[in-house]
Amino acid sequence: MNICGYYPESINEGEGLRSSIFLSGCKHYCKGCFSARTWNFDYGEPFDKNRQLEIIAEMAANPLLDGLTLAGGDPFFSAAEAAAFLDLAREKIPELHVWIYTGYTFEQLAAKPDSAEYELLRRGQVLVDGRFVQELRDVSLLYRGSSNQRLIRIPESLERGEVILWERTVGLPV
Amino acid sequence: MSMTLPFTPARKEQDALEEITRLGRDIADSLDTETLRENANLNGDSFSGKMSKFGSEYAKWYARRHVLPKEVEAAIQGNTVYVHDLDHYAVGTTNCIFIPFDKLLAEGFSTGNGDLRTPRTIMTAMALVAIIFQCQQNAQYGGVSANKIDHDLAPYVGRSFLKHFRKGLYYFERFADELTGTEHADVELADEEIHMDNADLQKRYPHAYRYAYQETRQETLQASESLIHNLNTMSSRGGGQIPFTSINYGTCTSSEGRLVMESLMDATMRGLGKGQTPIFPIQIFKCKKGINQQPGEPNYDLFIKAIECSTKRLYPNFANLDAPINMEYYVPGNPDTEFATMGCRTRVIADRFGRNHLSGKGNLSFNTINLVKLGIEHGVALGQRKWADEEGFYQMLDEALDTALAGLLHRYQIQAKQPAKASDFMMREGVWEGGDALGPDDRVEDLLKHGSLSIGFIGIAESMKALYGKHHAEDEDVYHKALAVVRHMRNYCDAMSEKHNLNITLFATPAEGLSGKFTKNDAREYGSIPGVTDREYYTNSFHVPVYYQTTAARKISLEAPFHELCNAGAISYIELDGNVRSNPEAFRKIVAYALEQNVSYFSINHPIDRCTSCGYEGIIGESCPSCGKKETEVHISRLRRVTGYLTGDYQTRFNGAKQAEVRDRVKHAGHTQQPQPH
Repeated sequence: MNICGYYPESINEGEGLRSSIFLSGCKHYCKGCFSARTWNFDYGEPFDKNRQLEIIAEMAANPLLDGLTLAGGDPFFSAAEAAAFLDLAREKIPELHVWIYTGYTFEQLAAKPDSAEYELLRRGQVLVDGRFVQELRDVSLLYRGSSNQRLIRIPESLERGEVILWERTVGLPV
Repeated sequence: MSMTLPFTPARKEQDALEEITRLGRDIADSLDTETLRENANLNGDSFSGKMSKFGSEYAKWYARRHVLPKEVEAAIQGNTVYVHDLDHYAVGTTNCIFIPFDKLLAEGFSTGNGDLRTPRTIMTAMALVAIIFQCQQNAQYGGVSANKIDHDLAPYVGRSFLKHFRKGLYYFERFADELTGTEHADVELADEEIHMDNADLQKRYPHAYRYAYQETRQETLQASESLIHNLNTMSSRGGGQIPFTSINYGTCTSSEGRLVMESLMDATMRGLGKGQTPIFPIQIFKCKKGINQQPGEPNYDLFIKAIECSTKRLYPNFANLDAPINMEYYVPGNPDTEFATMGCRTRVIADRFGRNHLSGKGNLSFNTINLVKLGIEHGVALGQRKWADEEGFYQMLDEALDTALAGLLHRYQIQAKQPAKASDFMMREGVWEGGDALGPDDRVEDLLKHGSLSIGFIGIAESMKALYGKHHAEDEDVYHKALAVVRHMRNYCDAMSEKHNLNITLFATPAEGLSGKFTKNDAREYGSIPGVTDREYYTNSFHVPVYYQTTAARKISLEAPFHELCNAGAISYIELDGNVRSNPEAFRKIVAYALEQNVSYFSINHPIDRCTSCGYEGIIGESCPSCGKKETEVHISRLRRVTGYLTGDYQTRFNGAKQAEVRDRVKHAGHTQQPQPH
């Protein structure tokens, strides 16, 4: 698995200050994708154990982080490895809050409970789902590119068997 | 036959004439853009800007040649000390002030051409605030600040409410009664009973109350909008400058005071005419535990609003009333003892003569020491020694401190002997506390002593790099050495305050015109030294360099201990990249962390780009993400902050060194790539 971007502190991929990791490789090939070069699975740098531990240590040392965001590419094309990385991270940061971006829909991922994709899904707290659709592009949307994409609370949605949308923290300005 | 030899009086006069002629030519023919752009707030290419430059450049030349003490002039030439606002040195102008708006508004004042009565409405009160700012700024060369505008203006919201309520009572209660033939008891309400927080009033006269409440809200918002517009449009200072105004608020918990803040922030978020971000006034939200820091506290909602406003408009900044350095003088119930700033960062609270409050005094002047030069002379940077010569460094530092102080004391003598009439509005109206008791020809000395004389510094980072090969964020030992240097300077200021019986304080200089001058001279003398003189500017005060990659939390915790030492003021910044207006939670968390770490004064920088075609605001790369127009087709306005003040279109108004500094800023969080997943 390669990564094509790591931002120790980002405000752009989810609420609060988050560490963001972009995993290389995607087969959705959405028209108008903002980073088509990341479709290539060999793009970027190898995400080996040393690099993983390095990033985990940085996250653990940062008192301001609200969590981690996995983006890409699409992490679900490297689901097993991404899930293993989250397990490794939680050994050091048990309460790590995770957002995941994907071109799949929640329903597609939730449909196969014994799959590697499902294992990655259930390790996240918020899913930004759906392909990027150029015709539905809207720059005013929060944390996503086109209006078909949704922000979904994963544990609640899995438990109830229906999509529960994420809402921003109460009491904060919109 | 006569012969003119070098350095004979005749030759000296000839030189002087040539120098003066060159000064004029450079300005008239726009030959020296660096001089013209020294101050981002002044349009140096304009007629009035050039007129002002003619005055100030000659005044500087005169001061250096005929007024400055020899050792100070030598230190300027030696590039170790910088005398700020040298053009005002010879005439004795003072720097900045916190204005007692409560007193001026309550008693009325005279502008010199006419007398103004105490206002009867918030609309008039806010109009007078702008006039007072404008009158006062002509009496000095630096910033003008309102340290408690919420408390100062609350009574006038009350007066508006009173006016509207009486009207409402007449039309809605009495008229209604007459129409329905209801027996009407004549209403005898004393003025004191009529205020927004009187629940009884609301119950007994619901129509009048509701009318008055709505009218007052609307009026306060309109008044705020016109105040902010006024403060951005009165180019009344020499050279067409807009006065450097600041307003502090946050702690007034009355409905009237809260409405002032709410309206000011709403007006700020709405922006100027076409929705632009207001450059002035600098706004500062005063954070205080128990008042506005936790859910349930009376002004917590306004703190959250301040966060929202700052994500959109870069202001307000955040002042930390709970930091120990500020708590020391805090008297609950007396807002004049609450820490506030002169916007850019200047802090004036303590007074050895007992005026331990803010309004009615200010900073008198400050001189800045070039720590980098001292570091180069005694460090490893030039490859002449293996270890830093700390003894030599401190000896040279003490000399520089002595010289900087000598300059301040000398200048103070000039300032002190000025008659009250020289500062006009400031003394006559008692803006400077007690000035109204002076006759026009009385000397101001006894009053000026309450102000502060400050020694500033620049370039701790490059100084450490020059001394030890690493700056204070790169090595823990070096970090402690940096702290020791600043502590040494503070101890010096404290000792000299005792010795000279004056308020001498240590300042984390906001170095606008200065950021490139020191560097240029040092680079000329020593060449390009990596990490020291190889950029166009020196790092501000004790800041971790803008080009150094670190996390927001680490930058904050590294800089926080320096705030405690800089009793003349300091600020810390975090750079955020990305559209922070959609992620206020990240913003709030960083502010809260800075306050918790006892940073005294804090702000977050983030880019605000504006497409002048469709009005989209956020981050704009080569083309507008909203309308798609390219930068080559439409003007993209790019707003940035420099030494505490915002400036629109930094590429045309900033000087070279500041442009370079903005380019080099490492964002502590985020990246400009917008997520448009998959």
